[in-house]
Amino acid sequence: MKYSFIKPKRKTPITPEVQIVFTFFFITLIMLFLTYAFLLYKDYTFAKDKTNISSQTQHLQVNIKKMQAQIDFIQKQKALSEKVFTKNMVLKDSISNLFDLVPQRITLSRAQLLKNGLILYGITPNKDVYSFMLQAPLRSIFHTSYTSFYPAKNGWLMFVSTNYMDKSQNEELDIEN
Amino acid sequence: MKIKISRHYLYISLLSIFLFLFVLVFSFGILIPKGKDYRTARLELKKENLELQKYQNFHDNMLKTLKNLQSKNRHIISAFHTTFYPARFEKQHKALFSSLKISKVSRAKDDEGFATYEVNTTSQISSPKNFYNFLDALNKSDWIIGVNFPIDFKRDGEMIKSSFTMQVYANNKDKNSTASGSVAK
Repeated sequence: MKYSFIKPKRKTPITPEVQIVFTFFFITLIMLFLTYAFLLYKDYTFAKDKTNISSQTQHLQVNIKKMQAQIDFIQKQKALSEKVFTKNMVLKDSISNLFDLVPQRITLSRAQLLKNGLILYGITPNKDVYSFMLQAPLRSIFHTSYTSFYPAKNGWLMFVSTNYMDKSQNEELDIEN
Repeated sequence: MKIKISRHYLYISLLSIFLFLFVLVFSFGILIPKGKDYRTARLELKKENLELQKYQNFHDNMLKTLKNLQSKNRHIISAFHTTFYPARFEKQHKALFSSLKISKVSRAKDDEGFATYEVNTTSQISSPKNFYNFLDALNKSDWIIGVNFPIDFKRDGEMIKSSFTMQVYANNKDKNSTASGSVAK
């Protein structure tokens, strides 16, 4: 015999309300934890990147220092070599000028080029030729000029001309070089 | 008036309040400060990256300058590096002289941090032009060599006997650590 017209329902603690509440909080908590995990992961990658950057910076700094030293050294080599090359060229011009200075009528037997002077040994037909054609240009270049003559076998005069520059001018020339 | 709430709803409400409080505490206590830290760290990393980029650019420019200098001054660099051999020098420049003799190589005082060696030279030339050509050739030779005073030219029949000192410059092993040195032999 039936006492009710409806079928009895089994009672469960998970009611639709509980389901809604749980679903809402589940989604919320999942989002929060995922965000937190993302932040933790980013913290780790930032720390790793920072270490990488600092080691790269250090490596670059060392390389830059090395290269700077190499550049300085090459520039030093370049400066010194240019100084030497210029000195050689100046020397070439000086010798060329010296030989151009000697007139046809005077014959040189020896020429000593010193750092601050010039000693010439040679033979001249007479003193006047020497004075006008060689001594005059030598005096215009050098500050001190001495000449001594002694007779040669053929009647000409042998001479030794000693010419010196002032120390200060010599230093100036050195600086220019 | 008495409000009647079923026990079931009371439990749900209490649980909801607890979870809501947890969410609030977690968000404001942990997540938001962590987020702020993240933003700061990101900005810092960006700055450091920019700094690294600047260093990299500076490094690249410097490398370019160095390569440029090295290629332009290849002859000078190798000349400073090359060891001076009198026999090789004589062989290379013999053609400019009637006779050429390198007599002595001795270490001189360092010049601007470079090792210098003095070489005594005696030679015979037929005309001063040979000496000019020799000076031109010196600037293109395998070494950095300067001719020093005193230079002595003496007439010897139809020839000119010349004697002079040359100074050979080389990398100094002790002082210039970036380049390997060379020693005259």
